[in-house]
Amino acid sequence: MAVLEQSGNTPGMVVQLNEKRKGESLWVESWRRLRRNKAAVVGGIIILLNLLVSIFAPVIALKPYDKQVLVDNNAAPEWVTKVFPNMKPREEGGYVTVNNSYPLGADQLGRDMFSRIVYGTRVSLTVAFVGPLVSILIGTTVGLIAGYFGGILDNLLMRLVEIMYAFPTLLFIILLMTFFRTSFANPEAGTLAYTLGQIDLASGGMLFIFIGIGLTSWMQMARLVRGQVLSVREQEYIEAAHAMGAQTGRVMFGHILPNILGPLIVAETLTIPTYISYEAFLSFIGLGVNPPTPSWGSMIAEGSRTISSYPNQAIFPALALFLIMFAFNFLGDGLRDALDPRMRGVD
Amino acid sequence: MGKFITRRILWMFLVLFVISLITFFLMRNVPGGPFAREKPLPEATVKLLNEKYNLDAPVVEQYLDYIGDIVLPRITTGKLTPSSAEDYLVSIPLSGSGEDQKTLQWINFGPTYKSRSRSVNDIFRENLPVSFQLGVAALTIALAIGVPLGTIAALKRNTIYDYIGMGTAILGVSFPVIITAPVLQYLFGVQWGLVPVTGWEGPQYAILPAFALGFVNAALIARLTRASLLQVLNEDYIRTARAKGLTERSVIVAHALRNSLIPVVTILGPLFAALVTGTFVVETIFGIPGMGRYFVTSITGRDYPVIMGTILLYAFFLVVMNLLVDLAYMWIDPRIRFD
Amino acid sequence: MKRPGFTLLLVCALMLTLVVGGVSAQEATKTVVTGLHMVGGDIPTIDPHAAETSASIEIINQIFIGLTNQDATTANMEMGIAESMDVSEDGKVFTFKLRQDIPWVRYNPETGAVEQVTDEAGNVRYVNAYDSVYGALRGLAPETASPYSYVPLPYIVGAAEFNSGEGSAEDVMFKALDDYTVQITSPDAASFAASIYGLWVLRAVPQWAIEAGGDSWTEVEYINTFGPYALKEWAHDESITLIKNPFWPGTDAIPQAKIDEVVFRFLDPQQQFAEYLAGTMDAIQVPLEEIERVKADATLSQEYIVGNQPCTYYIGFDNTEAPMDNAHLRLALSYAIDRQSLVDNVTRGGQIPAQWFSRPGLASAPTLETHPDLGVKFNLERAQAELAMALEDLGLASVSELPALSLAYNDSSNHGQIMQAIQQMWTENLGITVTLTAMEPSTYFASISEDAPIIYRAGWCQDYSDANNFLYDVLYSKSSQNDAGWNNADYDALVEQARLESDPEIRRDLYAQAEDILVNQGGGIAPIYWYTINFLVKPNVEYPPSVTGNEAYFEWDITG
Repeated sequence: MAVLEQSGNTPGMVVQLNEKRKGESLWVESWRRLRRNKAAVVGGIIILLNLLVSIFAPVIALKPYDKQVLVDNNAAPEWVTKVFPNMKPREEGGYVTVNNSYPLGADQLGRDMFSRIVYGTRVSLTVAFVGPLVSILIGTTVGLIAGYFGGILDNLLMRLVEIMYAFPTLLFIILLMTFFRTSFANPEAGTLAYTLGQIDLASGGMLFIFIGIGLTSWMQMARLVRGQVLSVREQEYIEAAHAMGAQTGRVMFGHILPNILGPLIVAETLTIPTYISYEAFLSFIGLGVNPPTPSWGSMIAEGSRTISSYPNQAIFPALALFLIMFAFNFLGDGLRDALDPRMRGVD
Repeated sequence: MGKFITRRILWMFLVLFVISLITFFLMRNVPGGPFAREKPLPEATVKLLNEKYNLDAPVVEQYLDYIGDIVLPRITTGKLTPSSAEDYLVSIPLSGSGEDQKTLQWINFGPTYKSRSRSVNDIFRENLPVSFQLGVAALTIALAIGVPLGTIAALKRNTIYDYIGMGTAILGVSFPVIITAPVLQYLFGVQWGLVPVTGWEGPQYAILPAFALGFVNAALIARLTRASLLQVLNEDYIRTARAKGLTERSVIVAHALRNSLIPVVTILGPLFAALVTGTFVVETIFGIPGMGRYFVTSITGRDYPVIMGTILLYAFFLVVMNLLVDLAYMWIDPRIRFD
Repeated sequence: MKRPGFTLLLVCALMLTLVVGGVSAQEATKTVVTGLHMVGGDIPTIDPHAAETSASIEIINQIFIGLTNQDATTANMEMGIAESMDVSEDGKVFTFKLRQDIPWVRYNPETGAVEQVTDEAGNVRYVNAYDSVYGALRGLAPETASPYSYVPLPYIVGAAEFNSGEGSAEDVMFKALDDYTVQITSPDAASFAASIYGLWVLRAVPQWAIEAGGDSWTEVEYINTFGPYALKEWAHDESITLIKNPFWPGTDAIPQAKIDEVVFRFLDPQQQFAEYLAGTMDAIQVPLEEIERVKADATLSQEYIVGNQPCTYYIGFDNTEAPMDNAHLRLALSYAIDRQSLVDNVTRGGQIPAQWFSRPGLASAPTLETHPDLGVKFNLERAQAELAMALEDLGLASVSELPALSLAYNDSSNHGQIMQAIQQMWTENLGITVTLTAMEPSTYFASISEDAPIIYRAGWCQDYSDANNFLYDVLYSKSSQNDAGWNNADYDALVEQARLESDPEIRRDLYAQAEDILVNQGGGIAPIYWYTINFLVKPNVEYPPSVTGNEAYFEWDITG
């Protein structure tokens, strides 16, 4: 803290000195920087488009997502049979029923893959947003407090994290979800349990997936935040802020948080595929969304079983997933650059 | 330092104890039981099975018995059969023979309801080494690819290297293993016949699964490395170092890279614990006799001692790794102190 | 310690397989590599008295033989280790004369050969009546807690009391009269009792090995067996290898093995298929998803075999709970299921639309040849008529006033698809919207035995080959397996009568009448399809198709 002349030019100090302009300039400039980042803009647009798709799914989908035409099971349009050479049409001695009314093919029950992917956006986007949100909220708070205060509090919180963390996540979700589902299966009408059970049923069994994922995913965030705080808190501008009489809360959320946001956003966008693949995995072992509700995860899980015969059934939902992952990652990168005060003027 | 480690180790046992407590009562409250079958067993048979495995005792008593079997060494009297010896990790014959055989026995994680001839200890003994080898191989691949990829991307920010590197990384995390593993298996194993399709008979059997597992995590590590390194490169002390005229190489290796590894190391602890205790999907798809499957099948089959055993095993790895991570923090960044 | 040996073996096996697949047929050993789909990764047990899964039973059938034996290709009962069976006039006392030339054997890893087991005095141990009685009593003993002990209990005097801990072993009428004679007394004259006496849960086991090895006695180091094959290797979570037992005498029913080694790899169906395509496995079950491709492929279609499996897939109704206690409603749902479309378009494995519950092929079960018009077939008019009657009974004006119905199932394999297809058939054909409740398997099974869901998915496979095992054991009103709560006095009287009847044709007719009450008049359950088994077998493997759901590898051969 003795080296004030060095820390004088850190953004934290600048902001600290210009109390009034602080909020405004930080976010306005971040926004400006974000817009300059083409990849991030593209990412943002893709996510926005996905949101629109999920809202207007009934308009976009060509067919109802749950309408089975059993005789069209595993049908594929002509172009798909050309892209995947092993999917030879029946006419050429192969095994694939060609039907061009399904733009991406039909699944094993003769349901339109395209419509299911469109509707699947709803489940998958919700998982992608709710999981990280819960995780960031709980994780960041715990991590900040632990890292900032240190000592006994740090020790206690980190042990709590370790205890929570030491359950293999999937195991914990399975236990929780089985517990939730059966506990809320037949409660008296009018009780909270009944309401929760009904919401879960209406969302195709998603509610408990979210709760399960949320409750099990914040610990990594907490540790990451704490690790970052530990390395940041000793830095000069924080000490300077303290020296100038800033309050604890302000230092934590005003100074430390913006400075560690970068790695957090990156880590979180990177775990979004994990959240979505949890959902796929849960479908795999019989704990996924209730059929016929479509989700990319369950489509991928089902498609993976037919991947050598009907690769389209796994690849297309996987591509949808891939696209949104790309978008989240680029947007996450852009956000990091934009939000990190020390990145200013770098570009 | 010594005091810190001692305290952490004591904590560790407390953590493990709390985990065992929560898991035990949580799993016993999950509906379904170890003997729920598609073809239901008659009540009388279920009663016999419950008696055999002491599941008819009060739950608290069962818990205490379970913990007692693990923690307390005991001297048993009776004929020492291979199965009664293998139930315990430590089994030392003391005196006598036949029915009067006295044996010092310690650490018994219990039976598995799925198999009459094996115990949880048997599963640890035979399956853990397999998962461990695969996990270490995957982690090595992940680090060997991830750290350089992330470093290059950060140093050559916004160049073609950055884009290609990060594109590959995103590709790695965005495709779930449920898809990549069978595709790799089909292409390399079936179509081109370069590697065995499934099994675990030698190093060549580890190639595909280790890459399938390693690549996903390489992507994770590369992204973290890049993000963290970019941040560190903008730190004042790096600017100072540069201003002092140090070579770029020494700036990066001596200062930047070391400090940027903190988030990577944080992830590494749990990643290591998760990888070496096995992964369900990869082990199932590649037919590998590891631990991973037991984490899932024990839950779905309500195989209580195996649930406890696998969770405690994972927890043990995790707390040990986290301790090592904290020690690594101190080495990487001497500014970090533990009071 | 175990694995290097196995590696070598497998490499040899693979090389041999390649050679066998080629032109040369000069090799000394013939090996078949096949697969078992183990959900848990490992085969649970090969102890006959602990076995309950079909994988365990398949292995046990090769290494331990019962007094009687069910032929895998005809499903008929034949003699096993007994050379003759004598039944008393009242049909209750069964006297078995055992063969005297079946030695106990073990695999010696050092010599790499199967050798005969000797006693303390150095004499070869032959399977005798005392081994058989020891095995039966061990299977029935309460401490063994055998999951299948309940099946023979009603057919051995004193067994139920012994099993529940109330009686003693001495009172169990499963007795050795002399070294090679076993006598069993049944309380009732059930014609199929002899096939129950051959079940794995009553088979002879080596007392000395069990006492030496404890629960680990099924490991290669300790196990002694006597079937046409012996255990060579059990790499847990990986595979089991059986080796030919040259000391098996070869009986009319069970010849000496022709194949020297059979390797069972524990893999999921998809992985087995991949290995088969790679040429490293010889016989596998086809994953349902790949069947269309197999049928269209020039090579694979030649290697594709559809066999029968004695199992019935059905939809259960809770007959005791409103509104499913209404027979018309149950029948409406049952008649509205287009089973042919289901097996053609969803399961696709050549399954047979089920018209009734007891799988044809079981002893005394009706068959499609004898009773082509029996039971239930998709019939839209009948379904709608039944629905109209149901609504009238319930005093409802339209379908929309029906209480909410849900169809529960365990979310594994392709049940979800079958249930979704049925859900849509009910919506389209009857206008009834049924919600689907996918449940985690263990929770589901527990809930079925506690209090069956209003509508649920179920399946039943034979324990022993007789219609009694389906119609009496499952749906008799007092049966512990009667989850549906089906209760019909006429039905009960018919299956009671058939149980003790000895003439097979009269029995078949009685069962046909019972089935008519069950599926056509009462709609107690809705049978969906009869199982098949879909195999891919390399052309050089001679495979007599099995109809019992279990293979008899001693009947297999490899040809040049």
